Amino acid sequence: MSSQTITEDQRDCLQELINVSMGQASDKLARYLGTFVEIQVPAIALVGTAEITGLLAGNYNDEAVSLVSQGFSGSEGIRGEALLIYSKINADGIAELLGYTDDEVTHTEQLTDISSILTTTFLEGFAEQLETSFSYSAPRVVMLGERKLAEHLQERSFNWEYALKVKISYKVVDHSFNCDMVLLVPGSALETLKAVIDRILAEF
Amino acid sequence: MSLPVLVCDDSAMARKQVVRSLPEGWPVEVTFATNGVECLEKLRSQRFALLFLDLTMPELDGPGVLEAIKAEKLEVFVIVISADIQPEMKRRVMDLGAMEFIHKPVNTDKLTEILHKFGFL
Repeated sequence: MSSQTITEDQRDCLQELINVSMGQASDKLARYLGTFVEIQVPAIALVGTAEITGLLAGNYNDEAVSLVSQGFSGSEGIRGEALLIYSKINADGIAELLGYTDDEVTHTEQLTDISSILTTTFLEGFAEQLETSFSYSAPRVVMLGERKLAEHLQERSFNWEYALKVKISYKVVDHSFNCDMVLLVPGSALETLKAVIDRILAEF
Repeated sequence: MSLPVLVCDDSAMARKQVVRSLPEGWPVEVTFATNGVECLEKLRSQRFALLFLDLTMPELDGPGVLEAIKAEKLEVFVIVISADIQPEMKRRVMDLGAMEFIHKPVNTDKLTEILHKFGFL
């Protein structure tokens, strides 16, 4: 368990900043796919390494998912990882939305493109509101629907004891896929993020 | 006389942001609602000239509030302030009777322009 906390004011502020950033990301994705993307209120929680596998994998049961990872870091020391977990993927449905013919692009390319749009737009919006900027790595396709998330996470080690976890669900209405974006901000970087949030709150 | 204005958003910061973005010296009396259900309760019990409405909220969301306003024929001028900026969402809420659709984060310039447009200023 984490010994860290965020105050109700900090959580409220963070949620609002995330709302705006995910709104921008879903708009970009909707335009790219030519469809509507449903979003819900983001879930924010502090998690410890011991809980993370259960918390992340619990939502997908025995379903094989696709996983894309993208790291980000900012000048002020805010850094983290964005995980994109795709479930209920209908690759043909996506290709159809994008107007591709058979095998024109691979499933990996599709996921890389979609992930890049989502995370880049989200992170740019988030950074802008924090009045900072992020640099980020290219999205990396870790799994392609061949395994369960729990299996992957059990093999992986996280280099933090606790982290801020933000989960945002994007649902493409024609049911081509669901994508959960999970941001993990490790404890040390969270302290910096909290300081930035306090600065924003002080303006109100 | 000051204008009765209702601000509905589940985020405390977002509510403050709306109030902070109101034109300086504009005589209004602001009431807050923190979700759609509370918003409707306030609209039923008191007359408001203007409602600033968020869309993504627990309990009852913004489109749900707009539907109820329509169904119950509650008279209020609704300006939606939304983080969901998809054109399709704008179309939906305008169809449901919203008069304007503003993207978050809101600011004074944007709000002043719209209040002018509709003759509130």
